[in-house]
Amino acid sequence: MEQLQVTDLQVEFGGLRAVDGLSFSVQEGEILCLLGPNGAGKSTTLDLICGKTQPTDGSIQLNGVEISQMLEFRRARLGIGRKFQVPSVYKNLTVDENLSVARSRRPGMWNALTRLSLTDAREAASILDRVNLGAKRHEMAGNLSHGETQWLEIAMLIAQDSKLILMDEPTAGMTIQETERTAEIFRSLSDNHTLIVVEHDMSFVRTVADRIIVMNRGAMLAEGTIEEIEANEDVKTAYLGH
Amino acid sequence: MSSKFQYDLVALVIFALVVAFGVPAVMNYDGFELNTFARYLALAIVSMALSLSWGTAGLLNLGQAATFGMGSYAMAMHLKLRASDGLPDFMGWNNVETLPWLWVPFESLTFTLLAGLLVPAFIGGLIAIFMFRARIAGVFVAIITLAFLVAFQLLFINQQGLTGGQNGLTGLAQMSLFGWTVDPYSMGFYNLVAGCLVVALAFGVYLTHSKFGLILRAIREDADRARFFGYNVASYQTLVFCISAALAGWAGMLYTLVLEFASPTYMSVSFSLAIVIWCAVGGRESVSAAAFGAIVVNMLEGRLSDVFVEGWHLILGVIFVLVVMFMPRGIYGLLSDSVQKIRRIRRTRDQRSVETFPNT
Repeated sequence: MEQLQVTDLQVEFGGLRAVDGLSFSVQEGEILCLLGPNGAGKSTTLDLICGKTQPTDGSIQLNGVEISQMLEFRRARLGIGRKFQVPSVYKNLTVDENLSVARSRRPGMWNALTRLSLTDAREAASILDRVNLGAKRHEMAGNLSHGETQWLEIAMLIAQDSKLILMDEPTAGMTIQETERTAEIFRSLSDNHTLIVVEHDMSFVRTVADRIIVMNRGAMLAEGTIEEIEANEDVKTAYLGH
Repeated sequence: MSSKFQYDLVALVIFALVVAFGVPAVMNYDGFELNTFARYLALAIVSMALSLSWGTAGLLNLGQAATFGMGSYAMAMHLKLRASDGLPDFMGWNNVETLPWLWVPFESLTFTLLAGLLVPAFIGGLIAIFMFRARIAGVFVAIITLAFLVAFQLLFINQQGLTGGQNGLTGLAQMSLFGWTVDPYSMGFYNLVAGCLVVALAFGVYLTHSKFGLILRAIREDADRARFFGYNVASYQTLVFCISAALAGWAGMLYTLVLEFASPTYMSVSFSLAIVIWCAVGGRESVSAAAFGAIVVNMLEGRLSDVFVEGWHLILGVIFVLVVMFMPRGIYGLLSDSVQKIRRIRRTRDQRSVETFPNT
């Protein structure tokens, strides 16, 4: 079943069309990778889906519900999670507290008022072991290294447990081993989550992607499996500029 | 339970013991001194209320004095009605013939106590909804609340027949609570105010360590990120504003009982700024520290104005400047930083001894 259906999506920033007539759909449990040169509109597409940016035209449907005009927190409640390109964790909170904030299955105020701040983090403690942060639970997130910060944000998204997770360059700044571990986690996530990943690391894309969409100048250039994309002439032209 | 929660609970217990037993003993159970200290305790509640919205949620409310004044006037209206037969005296001077409808329900003490909490909460919430739904943040919150405070005070003073205008409400009766006549110079009254402060602080400590407090801290740091986790940021901010306003109203009611009059100066800009200073000196991140700051600054003010009749304002001003320059997080920040420093030194020393004697 189609989980996400994007139709004729368009957004303009002062005359510049960052996304122009983009249409695609994502199946449940699929890992879709968005590729494309700088400025192709990949991050903007994720922004439009999660509600950071409002589209000027087009529709976005999540499980058949139109969400393109909804406020971002309502979309999050419907099951959309987002990891940003610049790792955005709460630097002045501890790792545990970050996890507790992320675990937002019941985001209402009554629930927040009747729970202690770390109750949710205790329930989600196993996630930290999964990303090798178990020993740093009481550390301030601001004291973590760049790679660890990336891990923490991934852990937060696992804790949030959204059905559809949007990842913007999750492996940026990671070592080869860390990237491999991330790929492993992504594969296991796809059992009951759908992922849309923007990534430049081709070996990573090769391991995780079920399907690839290549974007150029805000529109879709090609779509298919990794082999089809690698054989595509248009893609070569867009990247190499011939 | 986190270690920070434990520290806060210990601080709260020490605070409660000192206020309940230590202070009266030092004051020699003298009625006048106890009344003066009860005044500081009432102000500590409003300072602690500000620390909830400012320290935890990062919303600097410069209109805190307005909600404080609402509570104060609610109590004063009740006591004024009790002191007069029928029409309060100042209404006669202003050619008001019958008791205005706004005053009628204040005959009842229950209504008065509820109004002193709920009216500030409602008005604070109303402003908050407009601000936070429009995603106003940072310094603009301070500007809007300050503007509201100025407008509210002007409106209040202008309605002389209703509010007593510039003179405020004086000549009040004493409150009688379950048949107990509250004498503001008694030990019983001191205990009432101290009890209120401790209850308010316990509530505040719980709130800051609940998930609600955690979400507020997350919102302070990055409101957008919190939205992407599904939290309705505006409603969280509105609720903390309401709670803070209700606590300020509560403090205002106690303040009227202490001083036995209500004055529009309680809603002045300078009073509102004073609350911010108390909160900053104590440390806005902790409710107990903010309450402590209010008590310390007010005691200092009292002592300094006794000793240096001429220049005490200047001395106090210099102290504030020094606090802002060298202790930006207040007394609380100074304490928690030094605790962390000691811990770090101890940890590195432990590691070093392990390295030197690997077999031990």
